Amino acid sequence: MPFRAIFIAVVIGTALVLAAFLIHQKRPAVERNQPSSTRISAVGKCAECHRRETSAIIDQFETSQHAAKGVGCLDCHNAVGGQPTMDHRGFTIARTLTAKNCAQCHATEYEQFARSRHAAPAWASVNGAQGMSAEQRAVGEKHHPGWVDRAPMAIGAMEGPAALTSGCNACHSIGKPNEDGSFGTCTNCHARHSASVALAREPTTCGQCHMGPDHSQLEIYGESKHGALFAAQRERLNMHADPKKLTTADMSVPTCATCHMSGLEGMKVTHDTTERLSYFLFAPVSEKRPGGDRGETEMKELCLKCHTRPRVDDFYAKAHDVLVATNDKVKGALDVVAALRKDGLLTPAPLDEPIELLEFDFWHYYGRTAKHGAYMGGADFVQWHGNYELLKLRVELDQAVAEARSPKREHR
Amino acid sequence: MKLLADVTPAAAARVFAVSNVAFLGVDIALAHMANAFAHPGEWAPIVFSALATLLLVPGALGQRGRLPASLDLVAGWGAVVVGVVGMVFHLESGFFTAQTLHNLVYSAPFVAPLSYVGLGLLILLLRSEEADKPALGPWLLLLSLGGFVGNYGLSVLDHAQNGFFQATEWIPVASAALAIGILAVTLATRDARVRLACLAIMGGQVVVGVAGFVLHVTADLNRPAASALDRFVFGAPAFAPLLFADLAALAAIGIWALRGTTERAPAPRSGPSGAVPAPTATD
Repeated sequence: MPFRAIFIAVVIGTALVLAAFLIHQKRPAVERNQPSSTRISAVGKCAECHRRETSAIIDQFETSQHAAKGVGCLDCHNAVGGQPTMDHRGFTIARTLTAKNCAQCHATEYEQFARSRHAAPAWASVNGAQGMSAEQRAVGEKHHPGWVDRAPMAIGAMEGPAALTSGCNACHSIGKPNEDGSFGTCTNCHARHSASVALAREPTTCGQCHMGPDHSQLEIYGESKHGALFAAQRERLNMHADPKKLTTADMSVPTCATCHMSGLEGMKVTHDTTERLSYFLFAPVSEKRPGGDRGETEMKELCLKCHTRPRVDDFYAKAHDVLVATNDKVKGALDVVAALRKDGLLTPAPLDEPIELLEFDFWHYYGRTAKHGAYMGGADFVQWHGNYELLKLRVELDQAVAEARSPKREHR
Repeated sequence: MKLLADVTPAAAARVFAVSNVAFLGVDIALAHMANAFAHPGEWAPIVFSALATLLLVPGALGQRGRLPASLDLVAGWGAVVVGVVGMVFHLESGFFTAQTLHNLVYSAPFVAPLSYVGLGLLILLLRSEEADKPALGPWLLLLSLGGFVGNYGLSVLDHAQNGFFQATEWIPVASAALAIGILAVTLATRDARVRLACLAIMGGQVVVGVAGFVLHVTADLNRPAASALDRFVFGAPAFAPLLFADLAALAAIGIWALRGTTERAPAPRSGPSGAVPAPTATD
């Protein structure tokens, strides 16, 4: 056999193999390096169809940290811990994703979240303990005694399931008990395919739920100096910074997550958003949280990254004054209505009379707003959206109470 | 024995063509099932394969006359049209939206429909005046070479979808590359030893094809799936590796058709030539 023939055949063959090998090496790691061949093909196969249908999720995934670190579709979409499955185009995937899927890799973050008020108490505040397993109830009650094993919210039942589903639970499902034993999904804050830290740092992300008359945190933040600085300087901030290595150089202006969660300048990162809080500001009459002193200390430590100690102490003292004053106002109003109820001038059913709605608005809207405004630096919310409304509503309440107690009404 | 004596390379190639057209329909049905036949046009190659098989059977059975020849021509030109139109449909895949490696790997295989074009050309070749002459040999080798080029591309791209997770997935790539090399050389020479080497390498392709078939079926049987059919629809393409054996058979027929055109001594030319050797002798 002539050498020329051998030479040409070998050169052609080798060149083709080499070309295939080099081209393959140019492919993204997420499409090459996976723990199983099924997971490798999932990334590209999923993208192949989903680029035609729901193409945005492919773009979101491809620009995410998950893609950069080689996390593929099936890493999240595989069924874990007894989750119900479905067969989808040759792949077996979880029917619904929950926080448990994220916890495969982010176990610490999930554990912190699961003991926060974002988990069981958030769900229970609207739905009570319904839908929770005995174990989920126990976990919730362990960290939040009395806030989980409770009856559903009366207003939800009065307004009907449509309002409950699309209204209340759109936010409160952040702590929804899942069949797999976990609570909620992480995607409420991080989005699904972006899996974004930057998104979770955006004030508007928290503001999807923490807004409106009953908890105006987003509006208060917008009014505060923090919010004004964020609006002016957001281009300078490194919203994508690694949470465990976050410095004031990255976030020289705080967003919600910076103060409540971040590991700024060596602090411990937490997904328990209640960890650095001192009082139950949402309650009608606010009391110190269990561990509230520790929470206040931690929050102050965070404040000290930007403010001096006297300034921080002064801020807290003034906020505390507002809290005490608001507590007095709310307690006064509650006492007046309680006396009416005791005297049989109100029905036992909740929220079926105008006075009860005035009472509810008193603490649920304006009492909360005044306190939140004080602790978040929103002066207008302490005053006009808080205390002035309390003053006005108290006048209306007193008038309504007087009418309820008047002989004329009793006669009727 | 007399029957075997009557078998010519052209007759063998006709049987090859009809069996491939028929089987291609089954293979494409499986492939398009993965797409749930989202586009009605995806039924076209399956219907065509069924009809073309019927048209080609008389000719493959050795019937002579104008009718079998006409039916072959209809099937041949039809295959060319189906292949070209199929390629155009596949061209609308993601790769031509954005020319990325990702899209190249995961898009609908735009080369695959050209298998119909190859078969169509083979059918037309077998009805041309070269069919019963030694010139048939180089043409069959050329078609086989074209098939191996496609096979090489599909091996690279299909296994790239799998990330070449198993090292064995490189075997068909290397095997197809070697086949391309030897077929190119065989086309360029009339040396009997090269043709013998080519036959040996084609034998290797048969081994690779059968081994691939076993590996693909084993992988499919072991993968989780909703049903037995899903294992094969969404799993490793069970029949794809058999293309190695199939194309090797075509090349072997080509070499058979070249009998009597060999040179015992090395060609006096000094450099490699891509020219298809003219048939110079018959038996």
